[in-house]
This record gives sequence, C-alpha cells and structure tokens, in this order.
Amino acid sequence: MRAMTPLKPISGARKAFYGVAFFVLFVAAWDVATFSGFVSPIFLADPLTMLREGYALFAKYGFAKDVALTIWRVLGGFVLAAAVAVPLGIAMGAYKPIEAFFEPFVSFARYLPASAFIPLLILWAGIGELQKLLVIFIGSFFQIVLMVAVTVGGTRRDLVEAAYTLGADARGVVRRVLLPNSAPAIAETLRLVLGWAWTYVIVAELIGASSGIGHMITDSQALLNTGQIIFGIIVIGMIGLVSDFAFKWANQRLFPWSLV
Amino acid sequence: MSKLVISAVSRTFPGGRRHAPTVALEPTTLTVADSDFISILGPSGCGKSTLLRIVAGLDAPTSGRVLLDGAPVSAPGADRGMVFQSYTLFPWLTVRENICFGLREKNIPQARQDEIAARYIERVGLRGFENHYPKMLSGGMQQRTAIARALANEPKILLLDEPFGALDNQTRGLMQELLLGIWEAENKTVLFVTHDIEEAIFVAGRVAVMTARPGRIKCEMTVDLPHPRHYTIKTAPAFSALKARLTEEIRVEALRASMAAG
Repeated sequence: MRAMTPLKPISGARKAFYGVAFFVLFVAAWDVATFSGFVSPIFLADPLTMLREGYALFAKYGFAKDVALTIWRVLGGFVLAAAVAVPLGIAMGAYKPIEAFFEPFVSFARYLPASAFIPLLILWAGIGELQKLLVIFIGSFFQIVLMVAVTVGGTRRDLVEAAYTLGADARGVVRRVLLPNSAPAIAETLRLVLGWAWTYVIVAELIGASSGIGHMITDSQALLNTGQIIFGIIVIGMIGLVSDFAFKWANQRLFPWSLV
Repeated sequence: MSKLVISAVSRTFPGGRRHAPTVALEPTTLTVADSDFISILGPSGCGKSTLLRIVAGLDAPTSGRVLLDGAPVSAPGADRGMVFQSYTLFPWLTVRENICFGLREKNIPQARQDEIAARYIERVGLRGFENHYPKMLSGGMQQRTAIARALANEPKILLLDEPFGALDNQTRGLMQELLLGIWEAENKTVLFVTHDIEEAIFVAGRVAVMTARPGRIKCEMTVDLPHPRHYTIKTAPAFSALKARLTEEIRVEALRASMAAG
C-alpha cells in the first residue's frame, strides 16, 4: 500500500468507494459473527433476522406510527427550543449587558443533563407528550443559546466598523451585518443540536412512554428480540442521516456565498 | 476653507495592572482643505491608523478634537467614507449589493441605487463582476469594490487606511493610478495613510510625515508635481528628489522605533 500524504484530497469516486467499503466490511463481520454461531442469537440477531423483524414491525405492529410520533416529538421540542433560543442567543451575542445577565446561568444550565430531568418532568408534566417535548427542549435550548451567542459575538469587528462608516446605526448593524454574517453558522448549530435532540428523545421514550421508537426498543428488550432492537437503532440512524442531508442541502441553497 | 481640522488630537491607550498606558498619538494638528489629497506617511506602529480611526469616529481621542465642516466629530457616519487595509466587503452581498449598502441605509429607491452602483462599478473597472461574491474576487478587485462602496455614499471626505497594503506590487501600482484617476476626475478630499514612500508621493498633493511612536506630525511636504500624473512620473528627477528627502525623514523615525523596541 502506498503511503498516505497528510491532508491530500482524494477523488470523489474513491471517497465513495471507501465510504461504502466500511459498511460492506461491517455487515460482513456481523454476518460472520452471527451465522457461524459464534455469537448467540439471544445477544445479537443476524442481519437477515433483523430485516425480517423490521418488516414485521411495520407490517404487524404499526411501527410507522411509532416512528412518526418520535419524529414529531424531536421536531416539536427542537423547534420550540430554537424559536426561543436563537433570538435570545442573537441578543446575547450582540449586546454585552444582555450577555452578562444570562451567560453565567446558561453556561451552568448547559451542563445539566437533560435525561436527569426526566423523573422531575414526569412528576410535573406526567408521561404525556408535554413531558417528551420538555426533555428535548431542555436538552437543546441552552446549547443553542450559547453557540448562537458565541457565533454572533464573534462577528469580525472590521465588518461592523465598515458598516458604521457607511452610515449604519446600531439596529442596522444587527440587522444587516450580525444577522447575515452569523446565519450560516447558526444553521450549522441547529443541524448539530438536532442530532443531539435525537439522543434525548430516545432516552425520554425509554422511561415512561407507551409509544415511539424508544418504547419499542424497551419492549423488544423484554422479549429478548435483538433483531427489533437493532432495527430500531438503524431506523434512528437513517432518519438522522436524512435530516442531516436535508439540513446541509438547505444550507447550501440558502447561503451560497459562504461556500464559494 | 478648511474642510477638516484635526486639532491637538492625542490618544493614550489605558494600561492594565501590569503595564503602563501606551501613548499612541501625541497631540497632533493637521488642517485639510477642500479637495486636498493628503498622504500620512509613517513607520509601522506610529499611530497613523489611530489618527485616521479618530477622524472616522471609530476611536475617541484622549484630548483634542476633530472638526469636519466646522462640526465636531464624535461617532462614525456616512459623511466620512473609509477603506480599510483588511478586506471588509460583506461576504454575503454581491459586488453591486456591497456598493449599495450605504445607499440602502439612506433609503434611496432601488432604481436610483442601481444607477449609482453602475456608475461606480464602471469607474473602478468592475463591469461584468456586479453579481460576484467577494470570495470570487482577487484582493485588488475587492479593494476596488471597497473604494466604490465608500465613494457611492458621496462622503465629504474619503479615509484610506493602507488600502493597498496587502496587495502585490504590480496590483498596488495599478490601484494607485486608479485612485489618482478618480481624484483627478472628482476632486474628493482624501486622507491616505501609508508606510510606502513612493505611494505617498505619487497619489498626494501633500505628504505629512509622522514620527515613530508616540506619533505626531513631524513635517509636511507639498508634492509639486503636475496633474494628470502618469506612472512614469515615479522616475522623474523631481519625484526622486522628494523621495530622497522623505526617505531620510522616515529612516530616522524607523531607526528610533527599532531602538525603542530593542
């Protein structure tokens, strides 16, 4: 094998080949481990069983409804969090007194694990939808606020100064410099945090839920159905991949100037 | 009549707990008449940019004051256009939108904005690049857009802070000619900060030499070369004589600065 050169780019075709190769090797290793009987089916289902179980989930057990519910919970909690967190983050990034007021608390709250709130939230909001949304909200809100504030606060000073010498006032600088300048990074923050929101929803559904992907996974564990568990995990991964692509695609459309 | 009066302006940056305050600018006085093109020439770190930023209103003087058309300057405003050394085009706006930035801020109708932008795009030779984003442009083209953006606002005075400092030598020469051409056509009042002696002479009607830090204006020299100037003037005897004198003045300051640093 030829030695690799640091940071040297590779062609698109080879990049795709390597990416696919990993999945092929991964599934191959899984095949070997399960079909050979090396790993007991109680612990790990083989790929074919997994697919069969997955089909059964959709065909017999109405899994589509669970998937839809989980997606709704993630998006609901995430959109609520973003709707409040993005404006607050922009205000904190732009105006230092506002930042001084909120920043210490937000920094503290950011380290509170959303999953640790679940028992409390069940106490407050029961085990209904509101509780699920609140878990996502708490998990996403503080992260978004801080990252948006840092992005906006990091706007190049010379761009701001240029705007002032062109006659912009304070509001003009926020609206016509800080906002457009930060928009791509804010979108990137949202993409990242949406990924984290997915991990919170599953945890929320593992405890005190009667529907959703997480709930299906707990049920399957009770039945030792590892095929269904793995299928559920893979579905989450696929949804994550799709939403990630959608976000990237939208960002490229919305902010062509940042990528040229 | 004096357009701009810089009167006894000084700037001291406050020190921290462990270091003494820095005097960047000693009381400096400079008077600029309408349609003057003045170069402020000085070694690095002499406070010439600080002086320009105070005129722009981006920095406040510790003492003294700046008057533009008799009115004191206290904050940045559209009446003082500025071109920075760093590339400060707004990356999310095209060349045309960048040039229209100040016009939009004044609520000028879009059609009129486009007219003005087209005129200045033509003037700085960027026709065909109206819809390009800054990232797609070379450094020279970005600075040409920045000059057009500042001019489109029709400022009373144009402030240039080493605008060609980051450009290669050839581009730099062309940009000097472009700037000079604009001045010869429009007779704007211009304050031009540079550390390049040849550049200072070529574009200006007067050169103000600054001392090493803490800066103040050491002497002023009139550049008595006829307009329109052609780049070949840089090899004329009168030009060389001026250059020799300024080189001597600056050398003394650069030496002082390096001694102080050492």
